[in-house]
Amino acid sequence: MGPNFIKTICPYCGTGCGLLIEVRDGVAVATRPDREHPVSRGSLCIKGWSAHEFIHHPDRLTAPLLRKGDTFQKIPWDEAIPMAASKLRETAAQYGGDAIGGLSSAKCTNEENYLFQKLIRTAFKTNNVDHCARLCHAPTTVAMAQTLGSGAMTNSISDLAGAECILAIGSNTAESHPIIMGEIYTAVDRGAALIVVDPRETAVTRNAKIHLRIQPGTDIPLLCGMMRHIIDEGLHNEEFIGARMEGFEELRAFLQSWPVSRAADECGIDEGLIRDVANRYATAKESAIIYCMGITQHACGTANVLAICDLAMLCGHVGTEHSGIYPLRGQNNVQGACDMGALPNVYPGYQDVSDPAMQDKFQKAWGGELSDMPGLTVTEIIGRAGKDIRAAYIMAENPALSDPDVNHVLESLKALDFLIVQDIFLTETAQFAHLIFPSSCFAEKSGTFTNTERRFQLLRKAVDPPGSAKEDLEILCLLGNALGLDFSYTNPAEVMDEIASLVPAYGGIRFDRLEREGLQWPCPDLEHPGTPYLHKGRFTRGKGLFVIPEYTPPKELPDEQYPYYLSTGRMFAHYHTGTMTRRSPFLNRELDEAYAEINPEDAAHLNVKEGDRIKVTTRRGDMITTARITNRVSKNCIFAPFHFTEARANRLTNPVLDPRSKIPEFKVCAADVRKEPQDGER
Amino acid sequence: MLETTKNMARQILDEKKADGILGLMKGQWDIIQPHVFENPAELDNLVLEPKWLLAKLAMRVLRSSSENYTLAVICRGCDERALIELIKRNQIEEKTLLTIGIACSQEQAALCLCDRPYPAKLDAGEAVSGVDPLEDERVRALLIGNDTQRMEKWADMLRRCIKCYGCRNSCPICICEPCKLEDEVWVQRGTVPAEMIPFHLIRAFHLSDTCVACGACQEACPVNIPLLWLQFSMRKTLRERYGYEAGLDTETKSPVLSSAFEKPDSDREYPAWIHSLRERDGS
Repeated sequence: MGPNFIKTICPYCGTGCGLLIEVRDGVAVATRPDREHPVSRGSLCIKGWSAHEFIHHPDRLTAPLLRKGDTFQKIPWDEAIPMAASKLRETAAQYGGDAIGGLSSAKCTNEENYLFQKLIRTAFKTNNVDHCARLCHAPTTVAMAQTLGSGAMTNSISDLAGAECILAIGSNTAESHPIIMGEIYTAVDRGAALIVVDPRETAVTRNAKIHLRIQPGTDIPLLCGMMRHIIDEGLHNEEFIGARMEGFEELRAFLQSWPVSRAADECGIDEGLIRDVANRYATAKESAIIYCMGITQHACGTANVLAICDLAMLCGHVGTEHSGIYPLRGQNNVQGACDMGALPNVYPGYQDVSDPAMQDKFQKAWGGELSDMPGLTVTEIIGRAGKDIRAAYIMAENPALSDPDVNHVLESLKALDFLIVQDIFLTETAQFAHLIFPSSCFAEKSGTFTNTERRFQLLRKAVDPPGSAKEDLEILCLLGNALGLDFSYTNPAEVMDEIASLVPAYGGIRFDRLEREGLQWPCPDLEHPGTPYLHKGRFTRGKGLFVIPEYTPPKELPDEQYPYYLSTGRMFAHYHTGTMTRRSPFLNRELDEAYAEINPEDAAHLNVKEGDRIKVTTRRGDMITTARITNRVSKNCIFAPFHFTEARANRLTNPVLDPRSKIPEFKVCAADVRKEPQDGER
Repeated sequence: MLETTKNMARQILDEKKADGILGLMKGQWDIIQPHVFENPAELDNLVLEPKWLLAKLAMRVLRSSSENYTLAVICRGCDERALIELIKRNQIEEKTLLTIGIACSQEQAALCLCDRPYPAKLDAGEAVSGVDPLEDERVRALLIGNDTQRMEKWADMLRRCIKCYGCRNSCPICICEPCKLEDEVWVQRGTVPAEMIPFHLIRAFHLSDTCVACGACQEACPVNIPLLWLQFSMRKTLRERYGYEAGLDTETKSPVLSSAFEKPDSDREYPAWIHSLRERDGS
């Protein structure tokens, strides 16, 4: 028998590339690129090529596990599900439904996220459901909804290739979204100017026409300086503003406080260069802005995104095929998890929980009473664990590595009366669980993922889950039914039909329409071909709104005791908490140890050599890691990837939150660095 | 062309000349992907477009199948040359492989800058003439001119590399185990871009006499590096100076493998050190 090739979607970043998994005798043996995929068209990054490697790893969870003291004991499903249901019910009876928190997952399908939030909302009458979008693009959903009416990437990935000017801010696209980087290079090959704003030097900045190496956390001064120059020079798009915008006079008045010289002082960039970049962005026929965690992961994250929207709308660079605003989503289905309402303030399709009409609509559809009070966010659920949150259900998330100030997270997880974790491996978080449900990875189930360009795509089952592990959808149905809900779904397509009936923008989404190339929402009816770019002629909210981006510097800046800036982020061979990539032999061969980047001058000052062990300390905690001496970081700056359990960068990060979106400030805190005793020295 | 191919494939399966046919299948919802056809009824869904290189897959299929599994591959000229090269290098057993050769269109040849857009064993379609890649303006811009300028241009291109290893993974001939690109002595781990000289030039040199110019590397590259073009000069040199081209038959050894003194060439001057080798070698 020859092998089968199963067409499916990559489980890593939000680009949503097409894979063909080669299956032989029920085993996924290789991954190859899908030449017919509309986004990746036959290319993959190192992680995509390695996507099959963790599937059959011996560490996979194969049976439900129950905590017995410090160890876990395998139990059958028909004990695990009733136990989970009764523990959750008891908690809700004793403390109320708001004592339960649910963390859904950007790694799971749309259908699973939909059922997860439905379960939490209907079984416990609480809106305490959230997921890790809180830690990446929460400011995007808040700010873009306010300014444009839709918190999603405005255009399609392939539209980038036609832009004349691309401004990339706080995005290491080459390492974090490598296939999108390819589209940027296509634009560059056609003559586009690539302008990159990043305090660090990256593979993107090295290939840019202009690199603005700003001081960490000074994006708003830069953007305000650019806008001020554009207005002063009359380069703003008056016709567009007149016809399609509100709030221009307020913005113009606000920008009086941002002369270009002040902007230059704040962000440490030459005034002439700010003017040059502003000219290029404003005068190009179609300009696109790409941004990522460098913009959002700040205590002023929402204001940062507002400033980006303002700049784009000021120049009329929204609503055409090759312009637009591109927040690059980090996880394969983080767009979908948001769309499906795995958020504490909205039902599926961003329908507000505090709007009585919406509450009524969902109460009727779901047949139960719902809470009209917005629930708690990821960081709040964890922060209040053991206090007002008594029990938690965590599906495929790993806050013990991914959340800021993890020393505190670990204490919180320990303080829960009951913790259920549903995952494919015994993660750092699962180690704190009372009950563990073994679930399925991307290759073991069907369903849909929505990529960063709003494209619903079909995930196809290639192999069976190991042992008695089940598909997440089935686990959710078992638990839902045990909790007295009617979760009698037999397949994900049925769940999608229900979603389509409740969310107008997804009304035309059906599994059989997604088979070949997927569909980009909004797709309101069965004849609708999907929407490659938004806001054409009219913003989702009607008129676009300029909102004033108030600048607040990072909450913790270097001082005498902690003289360095610390930033965290990703590197190309690993992904997030490493649960999958560190169990992939090829990726682990590429990199198998944690590191922190330090500037040569700082290294010399500290007498640190390449590969030396160093200790990085902040007010929250410390980690010992390996020094990489490089000019990629400026003097006084340290960069550490957060993938490594043995050196958890999130022991160090500052849990201070952006007031509106509640995203933590991962990108800036103050740190100290010391050389550790090296092997053979004491 | 499609019908001829289908009939041939059907005949091969009916007569049990092969256990499977590797080709492209257009399935439900018009999804096209590679498929191993083992049941003749499935062949109704066989298609020939788009160009989707199958030689590397063919090798994987054969390697992971039982010893007596026989595969027929529907292949274009470049796929055929890759398979011949793999046979020559003992990666595929000749008796386990059949080919159904199909011709490429003129447009495809122009797109690939292919100088030989047809297989030696042509079973379906009409062979069209090839194009000389070195006549292409874009290629000339990168391959012609002074060393410093060319180095700069290539450095600019190769600095884009995101180290996906897609060029290696998709190349039908890139098969060494262990792979030098995974040897820390040569290639630094854990950093991007992959370094130009150790990574890209090692790969280019390793393939200099085996590259069949299929372009799989370039098609897999997410950042538009024209990796195939690196090979054009060497292919030209091998053809013009040694009359050699990779993948044309299973017998002719590469001039790099055949030692220069196997067939003494009276017209050619050899450096003195070659004579010392000859003495040591006893030939």
